[in-house]
Amino acid sequence: MNGAHAAALLCCGLLATAAAVAAPPDDDVALIPDEARQQQAPADATPSIPGQRIYLEAAFSAASPRGNPIVSQPPTPPDEWQARAFLDVRKEWRLGSRVGLTLSDRLNLRDEADISFPSHEDVINDLREVFATWHLMDRTYLDCGRINLKSGVALGFNPTDFFRTRAVVEPLSADPTVLREDRLGTLMIRAQSLGRWGSLAVAFAPSAYAPTPIYGNAALPSFNPALDRTNATNRFVAKDSFDLAENASSEVLVFRKGAETLFGANLALVLGQKVTAYTEWAGGRRADLLVDALHYGHMTGTLPAGIGTLLSTDPAKRFLSELSVGASYTTERKVTFSVEFWLNQTGFSRSDWNNWFTLGANRALSPQIRGALWYLRDYALDQGEPIAAHSVFVRVNSVDTFVPKLEVTGFVDADLADRSGLAQLGADYYISDHWTLGGLITANLGARRSDFGSLSPASTFLVKVARYF
Amino acid sequence: MNITSSLAKAASLLILSVAAHAQTATDIVAASDNVRNPPQPFRATITFTEFIAGKEQAHEALALFSKEDPQTRQFRNVIQYLEPPRDAGKRVLLDGQSLWFYDPASKTSVRISPQQRLIGQAAVGDVLTVNLGLDYSASMIGEETIQDAARAERNCWHLDLHASSDRAVYNHIDYWVEKGSFFPIKGKLYSDSGRLLKIIYFRKFTDRLGAVRPTEEIIIDAVDTSLATTATFSEQAYLDIPNGWFQREYLPRLNVP
Repeated sequence: MNGAHAAALLCCGLLATAAAVAAPPDDDVALIPDEARQQQAPADATPSIPGQRIYLEAAFSAASPRGNPIVSQPPTPPDEWQARAFLDVRKEWRLGSRVGLTLSDRLNLRDEADISFPSHEDVINDLREVFATWHLMDRTYLDCGRINLKSGVALGFNPTDFFRTRAVVEPLSADPTVLREDRLGTLMIRAQSLGRWGSLAVAFAPSAYAPTPIYGNAALPSFNPALDRTNATNRFVAKDSFDLAENASSEVLVFRKGAETLFGANLALVLGQKVTAYTEWAGGRRADLLVDALHYGHMTGTLPAGIGTLLSTDPAKRFLSELSVGASYTTERKVTFSVEFWLNQTGFSRSDWNNWFTLGANRALSPQIRGALWYLRDYALDQGEPIAAHSVFVRVNSVDTFVPKLEVTGFVDADLADRSGLAQLGADYYISDHWTLGGLITANLGARRSDFGSLSPASTFLVKVARYF
Repeated sequence: MNITSSLAKAASLLILSVAAHAQTATDIVAASDNVRNPPQPFRATITFTEFIAGKEQAHEALALFSKEDPQTRQFRNVIQYLEPPRDAGKRVLLDGQSLWFYDPASKTSVRISPQQRLIGQAAVGDVLTVNLGLDYSASMIGEETIQDAARAERNCWHLDLHASSDRAVYNHIDYWVEKGSFFPIKGKLYSDSGRLLKIIYFRKFTDRLGAVRPTEEIIIDAVDTSLATTATFSEQAYLDIPNGWFQREYLPRLNVP
């Protein structure tokens, strides 16, 4: 090879390197749907009213009572069926550059096995929120009215959600994420300041009513804001929210209820692209759930005097904690798995359960005492407290399951002490932008002498259809 | 000269300035980022249209508020759902690794991961305004002539982007940028395992916010290729967005005017 040839080859090589490389056959373009290729740009118009959600939902549910429960449930049998329709409205108005108004309300029409139709029990209005917001100054706000004040980062159980007590009304689902939508706010005044460092909020909810008994399903007020549920005690909370790092944020809370002070803290982390992790704790010097329930039952005249002597209780207050620790993982196929561990030191101990079952299994027990035993469990439910001392909560949510637009959610809330659990599987199919069809099955699983295995109904199924406006 | 036209000129000059000196893969990605994203805070409406087996199925819309963080030079984003009616009012904060989802119905803010679904085939990380050059290290594969979404041939740089920060949503991206214009044309997005997840085409290059920018993305699900979503940007406008909007505790107070 002479010098000229070598130079020519070098030039060719350089040119070949510099020149555009011919693209390999590319079939990707063929994957674009023709309709997408021909789609016109949307009109420059805001498609809906951003600050509102209004929908109408109809649901029918039926339940299978548990046969031969170890502790029978007096005095009314569990519902065998319920038909329900409701109009749900949430709307925000701007009344000026610095003033706003928020309304959240649900008007229910229902009929069920143990309610006569028509009667005032068939119509129930849940005024969840109505409050005014005043933007006082740069990043400082004042809210006044009935406010659903929510705290916490956990998915299933939020120990720092101090205003959850007695707030949940007529839920259609046992999923904790849905229960939060069906709860009443508290009459309060709240101030919040936002800064580069985070947020500081303080809220005071006055006592406006004397404590009232727990509402039974067949004795719910029709058109009554039920402030006795949410404003029976003076309550105060201060919350500081701040970021610890780009992927870590925290809240620290102090809560005062009557003469009782609780402290709380939570931490939420993002770990990579698919995992979030969190922990949430609340604690303070307080009595346990059993003592609280007996005290509340006596105070409201629900429980007969002397019931406390049948149960072994320790009325002494001591420092008790509630804890929720969990993580969520999302797959590339849009499936999110969440696992949470719950600790509730106020919950039933093993000896509490033994006492409850031993006493309840006594066939000679008076209906009054048996009712008192169930009252203890109703109280825990009313307070939004897990009655179990140690639980595991597992939840799976899958978008576009099997077919597009089908969202499936399932969860299990298991009591680790007796391996019983509440399981629910639900599915929502988004027929269109306005219509949703759904259903769910809920079951209390476990041995007869267990937390969930002793509950009736054993299972419930529900179908629903919703129209969004 | 009003402020808008001044900003427009500045944006065009910035793009041309970067373009004039673009030599390396990193420069090319930076120039392409400037084509996709305006430098000033802005709002836009993103309309999603889902296609299943080629048929249009549903429309969804979000209001996007975006602002570059002067310290990190990455974008901070706040989103409010406008459509469908069942999701209207839900809000998302996307600020680096600080991702929060707020539902006014439950009054709950939940920390989410970038992988979590936002809408249709679009994950959170697909929709947020992001400077790719900051989250990925770029290397040049070569030059190729490829077909764009309209089957027009485009002479492109073919770049390989590898995740270089925790904020990167994908492990790596095959990225095609048109020579000369620095228009992003196409991307192929891969998981950690090397699996091809999505194919994105950029199209409808239109004069918006002071420069010619892509106003539509077509996102194809590479695992189930019968699924595709278009994301169309409209109603773009510069907006003075307070920094206070980009924190979790502000989400309940955000209300799109």
